[in-house]
Amino acid sequence: MIHFSNVTKFYEKQAALKNVTFSIEKGEMVFMTGPSGAGKSTLLKVIYLAEKPDEGNITIAEWDLSKLKESSIPFLRRNIGVVFQDFRLLDNRNVFDNVAIALRIRGLLDREIQDWVMEILKMVNLRHKADSFPQALSGGEQQRVVIARAIVGEPTILLADEPTGNLDPDTAAGITRLFKDINAKGTTVVIATHNRELYKNTGRRVFRLESGNIVSEEIG
Amino acid sequence: MYIVYSLRLAFQSLWREKWINLLSILTIAAGLFMIMLTFFVVYNIDLATKRLPARFSVMIYLDDGLTEKDTKDVMAALKKTDAVEQARYIPKDKALQELKGVLKNADYILEGMGENPLSSSIEIKLKKESVNIASVKKVAADIKKIKGVSEVEYGEQFLNSIHSIKGMAQGGSLSVIILMSAGVIFVCYSTIKIAFYRRKEEIETFKLLGATRGFIRAPFVIEGGMLGICGGLASMGAAFAFYSVLFYKVALTIPVLKILVFPMETYPALPAAGLVLGIGGAVIALGRIRFS
Repeated sequence: MIHFSNVTKFYEKQAALKNVTFSIEKGEMVFMTGPSGAGKSTLLKVIYLAEKPDEGNITIAEWDLSKLKESSIPFLRRNIGVVFQDFRLLDNRNVFDNVAIALRIRGLLDREIQDWVMEILKMVNLRHKADSFPQALSGGEQQRVVIARAIVGEPTILLADEPTGNLDPDTAAGITRLFKDINAKGTTVVIATHNRELYKNTGRRVFRLESGNIVSEEIG
Repeated sequence: MYIVYSLRLAFQSLWREKWINLLSILTIAAGLFMIMLTFFVVYNIDLATKRLPARFSVMIYLDDGLTEKDTKDVMAALKKTDAVEQARYIPKDKALQELKGVLKNADYILEGMGENPLSSSIEIKLKKESVNIASVKKVAADIKKIKGVSEVEYGEQFLNSIHSIKGMAQGGSLSVIILMSAGVIFVCYSTIKIAFYRRKEEIETFKLLGATRGFIRAPFVIEGGMLGICGGLASMGAAFAFYSVLFYKVALTIPVLKILVFPMETYPALPAAGLVLGIGGAVIALGRIRFS
């Protein structure tokens, strides 16, 4: 599903990723861990082409990113749900509209959007907050809105960048359960985190990054 | 389809920045009104010059003492000339009568003249396409070569003036239309650029969620088009006011203005021009949208 072959990414002259090579199979749930600045976020960004790799090849499902035309990038991104570290919620829109935007972009009709968004909000336990605005929500609720927006388009891959960053342990555990449920439905999930509790005893693969290199792969 | 959503976003944006947009609409209206005025002037000048061929004639004065056969030969030679539409022979007696008719009560100035001092002449009307300086000059030169023709008169200065006025008006109006159109495009460009920057964060999120260029552009293009149409409708109102005042108020005191014609097709053309210029400004403002 996701194949990296000698991928290198520079910021200025500093390498954020150095010859990174790994593969993730369809339906897997893996973790990328490591200290701040190790390259976890960059690794996720090159998957959905928010950043272009300088060297190496990346294949996402049937897409060879080195040969992908710029006009095809939106269609790649529709197959990848992203839980952004900084949430990227639209403050001037309520919870419903924040989730619905992912479907509007895909050209769905209003009545289809209405049903589907309410279904997803129910899944993340936020149906009662559909009319609330992001500022009125707690950190955990905002995180769940972002997850709802990421999965509402039924992507084949879900990427999450520090999804439990500022959350208390109970809320973090709830978010982790949500990812497991999503993965159980067949979605490939990649989570970048420095929170050991998130992957401990999960039985999933954990890649450890340091200074842009994958230094180890273990089972969590 | 996302067109309904794009329309909603465009109207929301128009309403959110209503005062800036109102200012833009009024500026666009002023620009389009100037274009309309320029078109009105050029249209009437063009109409006046189109009427010219019907009134324009060339006078050919014949040598004294020509026989009837000589006169017929001159007429035949004239009729062979391609540019000539019709020719009318005026004998010297008739010319004197016509002059007396023109002088009316002042015909005493002709008293005391023993012999008729006027020459026999031929008045010719030229074909429409030949009423231009170059063609008339050539026709006059050719006619002068005909045996029996003494002099050819065609109001060279008048013809020159009319054509230079028409040329200046066309050149000037083209400059004004280009300048004003560029102005309207610039107003739309600036308004849409500001709206785009205001929503930059949101657009970045849209891109990361998989929005296509069409989805991102559509609300702004609609907004630009709406600004243009509203500006066009406002200028249409101004054009209607201009028409009413000019033809129903001013023309009562200055009757000569009644010869002016207001082209009615200007009314629908104004919002249509606004739409095209508005969309043009928006498209330029958005430029090329990049995804990475």
